[in-house]
Amino acid sequence: MSIEMNKIRNIGISAHIDSGKTTLTERILFYTQRIHAIHDVKGKDGVGATMDSMELEKERGITIASAATFCEWDNHEINIIDTPGHVDFTIEVERSLRVLDGAILVLCSVGGVQSQSITVDQQMKRYKVPCIAFVNKCDRSGANPERVVEQLREKLGHNAIAMQIPIGLEAEHEGVVDLTTMKAIYFDGDNGDILRVEEIPAELLESAELKREELIEQASNYCDELAEAFLEESEISAEMILSAMRKGVLKRAVTPVYMGSAYKNKGVQPLLDASVALLPDPSEVSNTALDLDNEEAPIELGTDSSEPTVALAFKLEDGQYGQLTYIRVYQGTLAKGDTLINTRNGRKIKIGRLVRMHSSQMEDIEKIPAGYIGALFGIDCASGDTFADPKLNYSMTSMFVPNPVISLAIIPKDNKAQINMSKALNRFSKEDPTFRTFVDDETNETIIEGMGELHLEVYVERMRREYNAEVTTGQPRVAYRETITKRAEFNYTHKKQTGGSGQFGRVAGYMEPFSEGEFEFINKITGGSIPTQFISSCEKGFKAGLEKGALMEFPVTGIRVEINDGAAHTVDSSEMAFQAAARGAFQEAYKKAKPVIHEPIMKVVIETPTEFQGTVMGTINQRRGTILGAQEEGPMCVVESQVPLAEMFGYSTILRSSTQGKAQFTMEFANYRQVPQSITEELQKKKAEEGKGAA
Amino acid sequence: MSSQNQNAQIIYLRERNFIMLKKDLMMRNPLRAVSDENGYILPEGGLGAVVARAGVGKTALLVQLSLNSLLKGDKALHISLGDPVRKVSLWYKEVFNNIGIQYQIEKIDDLWNELLPQRFIMTFNIDGFSVPRLDERLTELADQNIFIPQMILIDGLPFNKEMKRTDLHALKELSEKFNSHIWFTVRSHRHEEPDSDGMPIQIADFSDLLDVVIKLEPQESDIKLNVLKGSGSISSQDLSLDPATMLIKE
Repeated sequence: MSIEMNKIRNIGISAHIDSGKTTLTERILFYTQRIHAIHDVKGKDGVGATMDSMELEKERGITIASAATFCEWDNHEINIIDTPGHVDFTIEVERSLRVLDGAILVLCSVGGVQSQSITVDQQMKRYKVPCIAFVNKCDRSGANPERVVEQLREKLGHNAIAMQIPIGLEAEHEGVVDLTTMKAIYFDGDNGDILRVEEIPAELLESAELKREELIEQASNYCDELAEAFLEESEISAEMILSAMRKGVLKRAVTPVYMGSAYKNKGVQPLLDASVALLPDPSEVSNTALDLDNEEAPIELGTDSSEPTVALAFKLEDGQYGQLTYIRVYQGTLAKGDTLINTRNGRKIKIGRLVRMHSSQMEDIEKIPAGYIGALFGIDCASGDTFADPKLNYSMTSMFVPNPVISLAIIPKDNKAQINMSKALNRFSKEDPTFRTFVDDETNETIIEGMGELHLEVYVERMRREYNAEVTTGQPRVAYRETITKRAEFNYTHKKQTGGSGQFGRVAGYMEPFSEGEFEFINKITGGSIPTQFISSCEKGFKAGLEKGALMEFPVTGIRVEINDGAAHTVDSSEMAFQAAARGAFQEAYKKAKPVIHEPIMKVVIETPTEFQGTVMGTINQRRGTILGAQEEGPMCVVESQVPLAEMFGYSTILRSSTQGKAQFTMEFANYRQVPQSITEELQKKKAEEGKGAA
Repeated sequence: MSSQNQNAQIIYLRERNFIMLKKDLMMRNPLRAVSDENGYILPEGGLGAVVARAGVGKTALLVQLSLNSLLKGDKALHISLGDPVRKVSLWYKEVFNNIGIQYQIEKIDDLWNELLPQRFIMTFNIDGFSVPRLDERLTELADQNIFIPQMILIDGLPFNKEMKRTDLHALKELSEKFNSHIWFTVRSHRHEEPDSDGMPIQIADFSDLLDVVIKLEPQESDIKLNVLKGSGSISSQDLSLDPATMLIKE
């Protein structure tokens, strides 16, 4: 751990599902000698790739949790965060991007920039992560790295520039030409671990020279010396190009593009060289924390290991020895025996065992200096928590957490499953802020909520596999909401004078639609018609009304309530009486305020070969969807649409079967919109039937 | 007594329903002055061109023509050659929000959601676009009853040497086939002289096929809508674009 800051790289490998990023990570770990055999994602040897440590991931060939792992290359220490590729897990992606200093954007040389790459790219933009691109799968038929470079420019707006040209494509893909050194690189040996550097093949020389010129012209924008050398036509070294490109990359002004095939062991080592040469070290990235003592004012963090410590817990995992917390130290040093404060709840924590992770194996260490990623044992916290020196009350920027849009009832099979299930749920809701769980008071069922069908499905599977909790699931339910559409007055008196002490309270005012938030309560009482001490009870009473709307018993949002008159009794008025009065007033006005039901609308982007465009649009149309547009790009077409979530269940199967498996889609929450009258009636009918069934 | 009460009732602007809102917006729309009694500027199956130099406001005008037909309840297909769907959507949102501000409409978002299904954006790469291809797409949409446009807007049609009379004929046939109106933009250049009739050089050879030609010309403080071709009321009206909001004003 005596390494200098400029020898550290925290990088993420970010990409579209199935563009081969797990395979790439696996190869990186092999070449950096962290693992000694190569296993493939859906390998026949039953071991699976090292980074996909969860059983479920191995089986499905997808990466769900972002395990952090570290390796060494060319005297540099590289921490790799493997990021999940499916859009349902974007909170995981975003959280990993938060701790990265740079990223490798992996693209498929056949598929190019796909809809998911666009989502991932937007996230990288949001967190200002500098990146380099790797065009993978150059051995596949239909490979066209040049087109991918074009797409990076056109679709993602990157200033992409090729750093290499491929030697042969598809089955003939042999290696790459490095345009900085003007040498051909071949990858020999069973695992491509022997690099053979030769002169550029004659047939590629002309195009290589042309491309190098383009590269230098681009790079000279970021370095005056290089620009001068270029104009004077003097000798330009590989170092000069790389140092100029590095300046561009750090500013996110340029995206250098590398290529190869991880599966065929081609092009991975030059990519590692590039990560070291072009991506920033922790001191080159500015990180800000929020000062909780100073109205969350942003504070620039230093990267010195001697300053007071600030660290972020970005990922939790359940290991054999209890909770494993992945952290990144931003400032100061985290050492064994230190006492820090969890700034979310003010609790003291004592640092016990510190480890450095290599997927499922680990290595004990003494301390984690600034800029480093490591893990600790025996700390009870949630992911996203900040640990800071007791002198500081800083929190790392809170991340945007969307509200869940879908819920599912789960029923444990037996008593043992019940216990395991609650353990699992406790862990999941700590790990993932978009995953929530509660017990429905009426049905006594456990409900889980999340961002999509697959999101919940994966958690149910994990419960079964990791926690041995067998559960059966109910039908997924959409998170409908109720709101009002017009202003309505209320004037309600709560009076009870039968036996014992009486209850009396009157509240008057109005409610109206409120678009800026969920609920607002305004007190316009003058002259003390309702005594001040009962105002908060009134607010409580109205809030209680929000829990279940009178229309369909969905939560109510978007309401502003103003009270401007009322009456109290010196003896019979109490907090309880006013709460009851406010509840009554809410019910009275709510019915008059023309309540309606709102449903979550998802933004659905489908990528399909042009010949299925009509079919795909048909499927959207059948689902009450609105097609926003269709974008044709060569053989592919992107259909953008908005579809109610309620209509999207099982859509992946339908899409696959109607397009011969050639189309794919991404889905994310867009907004809430009013449910059409006919659907409202249907919902009400269904509700009534359910009611009968229960009775 | 009760009827008197009703007479005295105040109608709040926000409580007016969408139909009234739409009617209101259409009444205040300066384009109304140049439309026929059904609200159309072009005859059915007609072709119209908006000519201007780059950056003067062709797309803004096109979007307003489109919004005008959306408010009428018609369906509009907006085809963009070159710009992605997202950028075109943004144009609509921007123009519509400006209209909302200008006419002080509070429920602009709800109205927008109501109009959204009537609009369809299609984008093509410039080389990927051809009239037969568009015909194929439209027929496909119409066959499945997904979208049948009453107005088609084409932004970015390249009027270069390769553009032939037959292409415009094909476009006109398409317009007639779907009983729609087609508007398209034509990009002119500063240095070019118009032909003897005052028609921009790009469309001089086809002007007989066009029903309306509007040229946008920046003047001191605003952008004038100069009607080069057109019949009836349109040629006599004095309209311009407000350079700040890009909205049409009288």
